[in-house]
Amino acid sequence: MRDLVTTALDAAASAGSTYADARVVLTSEERISVRTGRVEGIESSDSLGIGIRVIADGAWGFASTSALTPDAIRAAARQAVAIARASAITAAAPVRLSAVGVFDDVWRGPCEIDPFTVPLEEKLALLVAADEGLRTQEAVTVSSASLGFIKVEKVFGSSEGSMIEQSYVESSAGLTAYALGDGEVLPRSYPNSHGGQAIQGGWEAILALDLVGHAPRVAEEAAALISAMPCPATTTTVIIDGSQLALQVHESVGHPTELDRVLGDEAAFAGTSFVQVSDLDSLRYGSTHVSVVADATVPGSLGSFGYDDEGVPAQRDYIVHEGLFTGFQSSRESAAAIGRTSNGCMRADGWNRIPLVRMTTLSVEPGTWSRDDLIADTDDGIYFETNNSWSIDDRRLNFQFACEIGWEIKGGKLGRMIKNPNYTGITPKFWGGCDAVCSAEHWQVWGLPNCGKGEPMQVAHVAHGAAPARFRDVQVGVGR
Amino acid sequence: MRLSEDQVRALAARAVALTPADEAEAVVMANDSALTRFANNRIHQNVAEENTTVSVRAVLGTRTGVASTNRLDDHALKACCEAAVAAARVAPEDPAFPGLPAPAPIERAERVCASTQAFDAEARAKAAAAIIEQSRFRDLSAAGTVARVDYAVGIANSRGIDAAMAVTDVKATVLSTGTDGGSGWASWLGCDASRFAPEALGDEAATLAQRSEVPGSLEPGAYAVVLAPEAVSDVLDFLGYLGFGAQAVDEKSSFIAGHEGERLLSELITLSDNALAAETVGLTFDFEGCPKRRTPLVEAGVVRGPVTDSYWAAKLGVVNTGHALPAPNPYGPLPMNLELAAGETRVDDMIASVERGLYITRFHYVNVEDPVRAVLTGMTRDGTFLIEGGRLTQPVKNVRFTQSAVDALANVQAVGDRRVLVGPEEGGANLTPALLIGSWQVTGQTR
Repeated sequence: MRDLVTTALDAAASAGSTYADARVVLTSEERISVRTGRVEGIESSDSLGIGIRVIADGAWGFASTSALTPDAIRAAARQAVAIARASAITAAAPVRLSAVGVFDDVWRGPCEIDPFTVPLEEKLALLVAADEGLRTQEAVTVSSASLGFIKVEKVFGSSEGSMIEQSYVESSAGLTAYALGDGEVLPRSYPNSHGGQAIQGGWEAILALDLVGHAPRVAEEAAALISAMPCPATTTTVIIDGSQLALQVHESVGHPTELDRVLGDEAAFAGTSFVQVSDLDSLRYGSTHVSVVADATVPGSLGSFGYDDEGVPAQRDYIVHEGLFTGFQSSRESAAAIGRTSNGCMRADGWNRIPLVRMTTLSVEPGTWSRDDLIADTDDGIYFETNNSWSIDDRRLNFQFACEIGWEIKGGKLGRMIKNPNYTGITPKFWGGCDAVCSAEHWQVWGLPNCGKGEPMQVAHVAHGAAPARFRDVQVGVGR
Repeated sequence: MRLSEDQVRALAARAVALTPADEAEAVVMANDSALTRFANNRIHQNVAEENTTVSVRAVLGTRTGVASTNRLDDHALKACCEAAVAAARVAPEDPAFPGLPAPAPIERAERVCASTQAFDAEARAKAAAAIIEQSRFRDLSAAGTVARVDYAVGIANSRGIDAAMAVTDVKATVLSTGTDGGSGWASWLGCDASRFAPEALGDEAATLAQRSEVPGSLEPGAYAVVLAPEAVSDVLDFLGYLGFGAQAVDEKSSFIAGHEGERLLSELITLSDNALAAETVGLTFDFEGCPKRRTPLVEAGVVRGPVTDSYWAAKLGVVNTGHALPAPNPYGPLPMNLELAAGETRVDDMIASVERGLYITRFHYVNVEDPVRAVLTGMTRDGTFLIEGGRLTQPVKNVRFTQSAVDALANVQAVGDRRVLVGPEEGGANLTPALLIGSWQVTGQTR
């Protein structure tokens, strides 16, 4: 792989680039899914190619190919330079990159049991048993259970002299029971919705989830949702569980503080941000209970790496500290635009995509409350658990989330179950209403492997650490 | 330069021959695409990709396994075929699996344009510059894309399917924004780059941006709405995904389950899936190599059956409409080329008929809160206007809606007379007019 990168860098320089980087990436995947007793799919795939990113005439160009002969790589490098020169037609000022060191290094993610060595029969048996456990309730008419494994091996090299090898394995698993009510379908998932939990690690992480053991309880909750009360339409106190808070952080802190988005690069697709560059160190993002840190060094997290896809070392950086907005997630180009250096957030979805500013492990730091004490301290409200739906406006202000399940909180105790609970808010007001976050004992990193951004669309694997937290004066039961 | 139709056809046949199984299917996708992206009135990203993937489905009895690769050397291709067989060997029998489909005549459509194949980086950059200029001279900021896709798909199976087709598309989008909260949007999708007019596209977005400056507030509530084609397309996408796939109907998560033949929507709504329409883009066969048929989904408000593939057609005992997605997929067959029949009403006349309501250019970040009634939530974007006394009186800040798509389409009061092709640059698109809907639930507003 190193030779291929060197060939690309040499060819880009010969074609006239003033900067070039190249990534050779091999991605291997395996997915197994069972749906309502039927094996829906057993699938493996691999994808290998090279992406070459250059600056020529002060503008960006990128070309990628799955053909890895020296001639094909040289042709792609020349194409990247030609594209950059075409880009320069509209360039107002040459691209500038913030400084970065030169590294020759190897980084590997954690993995105790390589899931690709575990027999397919064993994986399938686990899913079939879990799926059977989901179908122990008559009301559950559809069930799904899935496993996914990804192995990435990549080499990054730049014309500045870096040459970095990285490899990691990701494993994911999840269950969902769907109960059929009168004109409604009610899902209940474990350990999370939208495919479950995803981590950087191996088969050991799947075994630790105990899918089979949890399946009957998931089915019971799905069945119980049919007769649960609807979400009242009101403004109240809410406690949001860790997995839902992870997505709340993702949408309403993560995306708004991506510096490329703030600078307008994503305007035409998913939009911009209410956060401005001038807000740094002055915007009150939330209450003093809210601290959010971007950390690419969390062991076993989907958002971890040794170096990002610009060769910038993994870092830990506060985005919000005790409620004050203190930092962006950035790239070499976007950081240079505001006179800073990159904090290492550039990642690409494979060899055929350019890196973009992506979240790493963006986490709400734990507070001091136990979950039981927090509920006991809440006189009237709703407890929200497990995301079902999400939406936020094109400046990341007005959001609406629906969850799979909720519970009334009355007099400091969890009460009746609530079906289809949802809540809405405006980002800074919502975070300003946070008056308690549970402790490290309740804090967990949630993998989120479906973060969409960019054109052509890229899907990033990111993560968020979160514990249950309480928010005051939240509108719930929207449209109910 | 991507593989030709003959090359993808030959590669698919080779993969089938290399697969030691009772039955085998290979799908080859060869792609040569490029996308020029601009923001802040300059090109900031400009990318190109060449890739070819081979996906193999192996069948042993009624057991199936799938493997794919983009490594095309003999060793890697053979390993891919063997991986599919190994997966099938582990899979349990599926009594409902009917075997791979047999060949059927496929309607040919010419969807390759030399002008699009020649739409190179320099031509795309000039088009982007022309779009940008329409915003720049008005002191607005333009962002968007000019994309070209050139792909060929070949599908073969051991029962004799041997399908191949090449397609070219151009898609361009532009968002024009001002400093006073105004924003406007325009897009174009088609097969032929020579028909793409970048200045006109840039002008449309910039004009809308100027018109939507200094937006005001709006109280939540039910409003009559005129949805422009891009907004209608979003609603149709979700209705197709949630309501008109055979799996959703079988699992009773679709609003049409048990109601086929009943009038559930407005009499003004006639909806079909039609990959054969002259105006549309994409393949005329599905990912099993079966012909895509024009499939009525709603006729004058009466809902018809869902789209199918070979598996679901056999399971439900209905005709295969040719809507398979690449195997395996968790969604079952889905409509990818929705076509809403045009009406007779001009958009200006729709607006003139509304005493108090909203005109919505497009939606943003729409998601599902209830799949059965297709309850969606999302935001408006890039041109939302208050209608008062039959006129657009003022722009409003983007609003949030929480609305059942089924209820909305049951309350259609007029259908536009002009249709627009809306969609992604590959894989299908929707052909849709504007709609006037009697009631649409606005549940919030951004700052």
